[in-house]
This record gives sequence, structure tokens and C-alpha cells, in this order.
Amino acid sequence: MRVAERTRPDAGKAAAVIAESSVPSTTHDGRRKRRGVNREGLEAGRRSTRTLLWVLLAAAMVLYGFPFLYLLFTSFKTPIDTIAVPPTVLPKEWTLENYANALGRSGVVASFINSIQTAVISTLLSLVLAIPAAYGITRYKTPSGRVFIMAALVTRMVPPVAIGIPLASMMASVGLADTPIALSIAHTTISLPLSIWLMSSFFEAVPRDLEEAATVDGCSRLGALWRVVIPVVSGGIAVTAIFAFLASWNEFLFALLMTAIRSQTTPVVIANFQTQFGLDWGSMTALAAVYSIPVILLTLLLQRKIVAGMTLGAVKG
Amino acid sequence: MRISDRRFALFLMTPAALFLAVFVAYPLFRLVADSFFKISPIAGGPRDFVGFQNYVSAFASDAFMGAGWRTLAYTVVVVTLEFALGLGMALLFTTLGRRSQVWRTVFLYPLMIAPIVAGLLWKFLMIDNFGLIGTLLHQAGILSNPNQIGWLSDPNIVLFSVAIPDIWLTTSFMCLVLFAGLQNIPGDLIEAARLDGARAPSLLFRIILPLLRPVIAVALVVRGIDAARAFDTILIQTNGGPQSASETMSLLIYRTMIRFGDPGLASAMGTIYLVAMLAVAFFAVATIWRPGKDT
Repeated sequence: MRVAERTRPDAGKAAAVIAESSVPSTTHDGRRKRRGVNREGLEAGRRSTRTLLWVLLAAAMVLYGFPFLYLLFTSFKTPIDTIAVPPTVLPKEWTLENYANALGRSGVVASFINSIQTAVISTLLSLVLAIPAAYGITRYKTPSGRVFIMAALVTRMVPPVAIGIPLASMMASVGLADTPIALSIAHTTISLPLSIWLMSSFFEAVPRDLEEAATVDGCSRLGALWRVVIPVVSGGIAVTAIFAFLASWNEFLFALLMTAIRSQTTPVVIANFQTQFGLDWGSMTALAAVYSIPVILLTLLLQRKIVAGMTLGAVKG
Repeated sequence: MRISDRRFALFLMTPAALFLAVFVAYPLFRLVADSFFKISPIAGGPRDFVGFQNYVSAFASDAFMGAGWRTLAYTVVVVTLEFALGLGMALLFTTLGRRSQVWRTVFLYPLMIAPIVAGLLWKFLMIDNFGLIGTLLHQAGILSNPNQIGWLSDPNIVLFSVAIPDIWLTTSFMCLVLFAGLQNIPGDLIEAARLDGARAPSLLFRIILPLLRPVIAVALVVRGIDAARAFDTILIQTNGGPQSASETMSLLIYRTMIRFGDPGLASAMGTIYLVAMLAVAFFAVATIWRPGKDT
């Protein structure tokens, strides 16, 4: 369909002039730049429309970003100001008191270590299991592979509340009750299907010739996977690792059902603030901020890769 | 000796398959098995086979039927609002083009936040007395009194209030997926329609949405499944209250199991819930997605 190649008279030129003066080239790649018209497809053309849209975007961003900023501001208030009536947006007095209180509580620092341990073990476990499985599914396209990837998808629908209790009693019967290992296994039931799905998409993009050349050169099939294919998809492995890590880091229900004091992760500790110590909002906001900010920063730094990973499954076509 | 490709593929898949069999399929089997027993909550207590008694009790209980309807309503509210807002944002980002890229990234940040933290944060914003939302609406002159709306204490609206953090958390996901889908629509097609005189609404409903159909299907199904399992945000905000008005299925099963100590009944509820989810998901995939047809 090349209808758009039809010449567009003055309207097009006018749009081009306006676009030129207000915005630099908005084409995604040079190839599509035609007739000096800088807009393409759905991009808005008229300047007034664009201004209106920017205002709309600014409003949406303020509304969307405000809740978390308010959490941050609150965490710097004094404990009394935290629950002042009426509340203020900004602290009257900036202090780290809430942070000191939160991190000083017994079990809080230990819960951080538990969270990190659990998430790291679960991430490694997911990768070790998902990489060969996804490779087996995409490279050989056997009927068993097709059945397997469907089964993995169905697993996503299982409500954690349904398998949490049986899982907990299984772990207890092998002496793993209340350990980071047991919880990381539970978290892997969530991240493994996702990891298989993601890794399959990444392997799909690797040209076959690559391993064929390696096998001709005397590499075994496992050797070709290890030495040739895995280095090529290392970016995809990183994305998968981030998703598996986040799934475990933020998980709450399994952590609630499967841990007691010893291996409690931070989400459970945050939730417990509510009952155990009355309503200590100040410390809760401080701990929530400390727990969220590292992962927000990490993911914003790696955002390109993450966006690719999130949309892969859905938009493969 | 060289094993066949087929066997090699099987060998590669076996560890993951075994893991899912042991840690997902077996617990599910236990769940279904437990649903036919009356189980004492005390470890090592009596365990009597009662046939379908737990299923009969589940369907006969108001709590179960109520939780079922609430879960459905909650899912519909969450997914509908997320879809509308996500599509709006995706179209906004697309029409603004490349210069909006930084903001697209910033818009993603709630996806990294733990649901428990999001629930807590919104509870803090909506709570009676020192909640900021009531105060701001009062100062703006919309409410006569900051506590006029009991976001989390009025049984009539609480199910909507507890959905807000969920919507806030994952509209970004919806937007991201739809945005990626929009980038795949050829610009030529849109321009051709514009030249033929198509205005914005018909462009949206006649061209964009039909072309996005597969992407929309995936996004709705993925988010629908997640919303129907919502637990963390509701537990931390209201614990299912007031008067069970925000008690969804996950919460009811959790409470039946832990608080009321009836694992048999909870297992029957869990089994029904799982079967219903599978049925709805397959139905949704089959009707909305329609792989291989028109799109």
C-alpha cells in the first residue's frame, strides 16, 4: 500500500514548515523521511494541537508521579507531622527521624538481607531452568515443546493463594520451613513461566546458521548452546533476570504464608508495621521508600532493555 | 552415540518441566484432593472424607458467592479503567512522537513498586482524617468536609477505592504494550485514511483498534488474570472490610484457610476459583484474540 506516496499539496508543506520551526525531525529513522514532511502516521501536526497535547501530558505526569513523591515527602516529616490533621504536602521540617526509626527496628535490616538472598536465588534458579527449556522449545519445535509452553502459560493462571499452603507444608516436610530457599522456590513458580516465555522470544531471533556452523566445526549441541548461542542472547538473559528479580523482590503472599521470623522478607515486615506497632505511618513510608528506590533507579537505568522485554510477548505478532 | 534432536529437546526441557510438576502441579493436586476432606486445622488432626460436601457448603455460602461477584466487579473495573487510561496515554505518547521518550520512561516507574507498598501509599492518601485526597478536595471547595467521602470506610464505594492502587500500578503496563502495538501500525495506512477524509474518532474505531486487536487481547487477558488474583493491595488497605465489602476471592480463601481454620472448604473454594479462571481465560483468548482470523 503506497497511497501515501501521492503528493500532498500545500497542506503538507505548511505542516512541514511548522514542524521544522517547532520541533526537530520526528521521524523514527531516516528512511521514512519523505518530501520534507516531518510528521508520520499518528503524530500530531498542528502546533496548537501539539501544545494542547503537551499540557495534557504534563497534567497526567503530575497526577501519576505525585503519589510516590508524597510518600517521599512524608518519609522526611517528623513522626508527629506525618499524621497531622490537616496534612501538608511538604514537610514543615525535614528530618531523617523516620528513617532512623524504621531501620533501627529489630528485624528490618535482616529482612533486607532475606529479600536480597531470596530474589538472587530465585533469579538464578529461573535462569538455569528457563534457558535450556526455552532453547529446547524454540530450536527444535517438537510437539512436546508446544505442549510444554502452553502448560507453562497455564501455570500463570494459578492463584498463589491456592498453592501456597500445600507448598508450605511440602517445604516443612523436607525441613526447609521458614528458609530463603523455600521461599525462592515458591517465587520461581511465578517467574519460571515468564522467564521461559521471554527467553523463547529471544532465542527465536537467533539465526540457525550460527549453531549449525558451530556444530560443523565439531562443537556438540550443548557446546554450541553454551559457547555460541548464550553469548548472543546475553542481553535477553539480563532482561529475563531483571524480571525474575523484581517478581521475587515485590512478592508478598508466598512470603506471608511461608516465612516466620527467620526468613521474613521486607514486604511482610512493611505490612506488619501496621499491626505490630500500632499505626506507625512515618517509619512505614521511610521503609517503603528505602525498599522501592533502588529498584526504580535500576530499572530506569536499564529501561530500554526492559521495555523490549515487556512488550516482546504481547507484540510478537 | 548421538541422541536424536527430539530426545535432546526433551532433555533440555526436563528440568523445568520437573520443577513445575513438583512445585505447581503437585500442590494443585493436593489442593484438589484436600477439597474432598473435612480437615482439622491442627497439624496431625483428623481428616475425614466428605465427598462434595465442601463444594456444597461453598456454593451455599453468601460469603463465597459475594466474593465471586466482587472479584468479577473488581476485575472489570480495574481492567476497563486501565485499558481506557493506558490507551489514552499510549495515543498521547504516539501523537507527541519521539520527544516524549523521557516521559514514557518516567511513566513506567510504578511498575517497579511492590503492590504492598502501593496499597499502603494509597491507604495513606485516602484514609479518614489525615488522608491527603479528602483534604485537597476540601481545600479545592469540592467537598464540604475532608471526611465527606469515606474512601475506605464506606462499604458502597470501598471496592472501587481498593482498586485504585492496582490501576495506578499497572496502567503503565497497558500503556507500554499498546504503545508498542501502535508503533507497528504502518504510518502510510493512517495517512491514507486521513487523505480519504477520516476524522479522529473513525480513525480510532475503524482502523487503530481493529489493527491492535491481538495486542489488546493479550494485554486484557494478562491483566485480567492478575486483577482477579489481587490480594496484597486489598489486604493492606482494608483486609476485606468494612463488612466484607472489599473481600475478593483470594482474600476469602486466605481467611478461610488461615483465620477460620477450614483447609478443606478453602481448598474447594480454591479449586472452583481456579477452574473459573481457566474457563474465562480460554474463553477470552478464543473470542477476542481469534488467532489466524481477520487481523
